[in-house]
Amino acid sequence: MDQLLDILLHPEYLNLFYFCIIGILASAIISFLPALHIYNVIGIFMLFVLKFEATMAPMELIALSIGMIVGYSILNTVPATYFGPGDESMSYYVLPSADWVNKGRGYEGVILTGIGALTGIIVLAICAPLFIYFLPGLKAITAPHMFWIIGAVIVYSIMSEWPKGLSQSPDCWTNFKEGWYYLGIGFLLFLASGLLGFIVMSKTLVPVQFAFQSITPVFVGLFAMPWLITNVINIGKVPHQHEAESVEMDWNLVVRGTFGGFLGGFFAAFVPIVTAGVGGLMAGHATAQRDGRLFVMSYGTCKTIYYVGSFLLFFIPGLSLTRGGLACIINPVVSVLTIKEYFVFIGLMLFAAGISFLLLMPFTKLCIRIVETIPFQWVSIVAMIIVIPAVYACTGWGGMFIMAVATGLGLIPVLFQARRMNLMGVLLLPVCLNMAGYGNVILKFLGLL
Amino acid sequence: MKGFTHFISGIAVATFFQQAIHMASQESSFILCLGGLFGILPDTLDFKLAKYFYKSDVEIKPDPNKLDAREIANGIAQAVNKAIETGKGSVQLHTMQLASNRWRSYQLRFDTKTSEICVDIGPEVDTGQIPFDGTELTDPEKAHARVKVNCEFYQQFDKVSNIAIMTGPCFEFEKRADGKMEIVFLPWHRQWSHSFTLGMLIAFIVGLISYFCVPEGPNPELYTLPRWTLYPLIILFGSMVHIIEDSTGFMGNNLFYPFTKKRTNGLGFMSASEGIPNFFFVWTATILILFNLDRFRWAPEITPPGITSQFSFWFWFYVVPVAIMLYFFLKGKKEKELKAKEEGRENKTVDFDGPQAVESETDASII
Repeated sequence: MDQLLDILLHPEYLNLFYFCIIGILASAIISFLPALHIYNVIGIFMLFVLKFEATMAPMELIALSIGMIVGYSILNTVPATYFGPGDESMSYYVLPSADWVNKGRGYEGVILTGIGALTGIIVLAICAPLFIYFLPGLKAITAPHMFWIIGAVIVYSIMSEWPKGLSQSPDCWTNFKEGWYYLGIGFLLFLASGLLGFIVMSKTLVPVQFAFQSITPVFVGLFAMPWLITNVINIGKVPHQHEAESVEMDWNLVVRGTFGGFLGGFFAAFVPIVTAGVGGLMAGHATAQRDGRLFVMSYGTCKTIYYVGSFLLFFIPGLSLTRGGLACIINPVVSVLTIKEYFVFIGLMLFAAGISFLLLMPFTKLCIRIVETIPFQWVSIVAMIIVIPAVYACTGWGGMFIMAVATGLGLIPVLFQARRMNLMGVLLLPVCLNMAGYGNVILKFLGLL
Repeated sequence: MKGFTHFISGIAVATFFQQAIHMASQESSFILCLGGLFGILPDTLDFKLAKYFYKSDVEIKPDPNKLDAREIANGIAQAVNKAIETGKGSVQLHTMQLASNRWRSYQLRFDTKTSEICVDIGPEVDTGQIPFDGTELTDPEKAHARVKVNCEFYQQFDKVSNIAIMTGPCFEFEKRADGKMEIVFLPWHRQWSHSFTLGMLIAFIVGLISYFCVPEGPNPELYTLPRWTLYPLIILFGSMVHIIEDSTGFMGNNLFYPFTKKRTNGLGFMSASEGIPNFFFVWTATILILFNLDRFRWAPEITPPGITSQFSFWFWFYVVPVAIMLYFFLKGKKEKELKAKEEGRENKTVDFDGPQAVESETDASII
C-alpha cells in the first residue's frame, strides 16, 4: 500500500494529473461536437496530439487519453441528451432520456447517469487488482469461442424483439401480419446493416488516406443524422428544464443500477464489437430491470465501464487485450506495460472521474441554457452544419455517399418503429462471420472479392 | 423467467457436449448458439405466434370518446357468465391508443371476497406509462364500476391488471370441480409451446434430418456420441431447461400436451419477474459455460487451462455470489412479508410473465 501511495503521490507523476486535466477539458469540448462517435473525434484529436510525441512521454499521452475517455464517457451524456447521440451506445440511452427531457427532468436524468458513471468507476477501481488474477484465465477460456459468443449476441438481439401493434382486428391473420411486420422490418434492417458493414469493411469508398476514419460516415449516418433530422422536423419544443437540487434515489437503486450496468459494460468492453447498448440490454434482461430511474442510472455505469473498461483492459499486465478504438490508437505508442503503469492508470481514472463529475453539473446547466434560448430545431441544424462538412473533410465524397446510404437505413427505425439496435448489424454481422472464417465466402458471394 | 435467462441456460446446456465445444473451437461451428435459440423458443412461439391465433369469446374494445367503466366490467361479466353456463369463457381486453405516444389506461381487478369485477378508468399515459396530469375522468360514475357475478373467484395471482399500452391481456374463466371460477391469465401462454412433447417432436424431426445429412466429424474416437445426435439433443435439452426454469415460478407449464390438457401450477419458489432469481439462473449458466469451455478445451495436454484451481473457481465465483444472492433474496422476501403484514393484506407474489412485463422491454426504441 505504501509503495502504491509512493507511486501515486510521487512528484514525478504530478505532470500526469496535469495532462489528465487537459484530457478532461478536451473531452468537454469534444463532447460538444454534436453527434460524432467518440473514437473518431478522439482519433482526429490524437493525430494532432501525436505531433508532440517526441516531447511527450508515453505515460503523459496515456494520462491525456485517460482524461479524455473518462471525461467523454461522463460528460458526453449531456450533449447526447440535448442535441443527439453519436453512436449506438448513446442512442440506447438517449430515447428514454429524451422522455425525461420532455418532462423537464433532463437535468435529473443526466445527474443520475453521472452518479451511475461515478459508482461504476469506483467499482472498476476496486475490481482492478482482481482483474490481474482472473482476466487472463477468462481470456484463455473465451478466446477460441469469441465468434460464436458474438453470434449468440446476434441471435438474442434478434429473438428478443417482441412484436408491436395493437392486435385489434377480428381476423387473426391480420393481427399476425401486423405484429410480424415490425419484426420483419427489424430483421431486414439487421441484414441490410450487415451488408453495408461488409461493403464498408471490404471495399470502402473512403479514400485510402482517410482509411482510419472509414467507419465514421457509417456511424454518423446510422445514428447521428436520423436523430438530427427527427429533431429538425419535430414540431415540439423542449419544455423548461427543472434544475433539481437533489436526486431521488436510495441504496437499493445505487446497488442494482451499478451492478447491472457494470455487468453490461464489462461484457461490452470484453467482447469485441459488442457496444454498451447491446451489453446494457442484455444485462438489463439478465437482472430483470424495470424501474425507469434504475435504467438511466444503470446506463450511466454501463457506458462508462464500456468506454473506460475497454481502455483499461489494454493496461492489464500480461493480458495483451486491445479492445476499443482508443487502445488501438495508443497501441503503437506504448511499448512495455508494468503493474506500476496499471495502478497509475487506476489512480488517474479515479481522479478524472471525480473532476468530470464535478464538471457535469455546470456543463448540463450550460447545455440547458443553449436549448432554452435557441430553438431546438436550430441547434440541430447547426449540428448538421458541423457534422456534414466534418464527414466530408475526413472522408471525402465517398464518405458522404456512405453517410447518405447509412442515413437512409438509420431512418428506418424512426419511420417503422423498429429497434435501433438492429443497426448494429453493420459491425456485428461482418465481424462475427469474419472471425468465424466465413467472411471471404460471403464477400465472394456478394461479388466483393 | 426472462428471455435472456432461458437463452443463456440453453447455451449452458449445449456446452455439456464435448464434441459441440470442439466443433465450435476447431471447426467454427455455431452449434452452441442452437441451445440458446431453442432455450428462448417456447416464449417466442407464444408471444410471436400463439397469441395471434387464440380466439376469445368476448372482445372488449373500449371507445376512448365514450368512456364507461361499467360497460367494460359488463363485457367481462359476459365472459364469466358464459363460463358459468358452459364451463369456459374468455375475454380479450384491448388498449385505447389516442395518438402515437398517448394511451388511455384502465385497471381491472377481480375481488375474490365480494365476487365483483372492478374496473377503473385511469389517466392518459405515454408509451412509458407515465400519466399526463389532469386527464383523469371527473365523473365517478363513468370512471369506476363494480359488477357482481354469480360465482366465487379462484385466482392464483391476485394482481391488478393495468391495461394501457400495446396489446391488452386475455383472461380465461374456467369452472373448477369445487364450483369456483378459476381465472386463467393469458390462456394461450405456456401451453403446447411449453411442453416436453413439443421439444421431443422437434428433436425427433431434426434427428431424422441430421441422421441423413450430418456426416461423422474428425476424431470420432474421442466422443461417445455420434455427431448427428448432437443437434436433436441440444434442441431437446435447450427447450427442456426453459420448461424446468419456468416451473420454479408460480405459473407452470402444460408439460405433456396434448396428453395433458391444463397448464399446471408452478413450484412457486420465485416470481418470474424478480431480479435475483433471474440473475441466479443467468450466473449459474455463465459459470457452467466457462467451466465446460475450459474442461472441454481442445488439446488439453498442450493448452494450459483457464481455470487453474477448481476449488477457487467454484468457491469465489459460485458459492460466494450465490450466498450473497440468497441473503438478499431472503431479506427481500422477509421485507415484503412484513410490509404486507403492516398493510393487513395477504402477501401473494405476482408472476409477471405476461405481455406487459415481456413487452415493456428495456429497448428504448419502442418509446
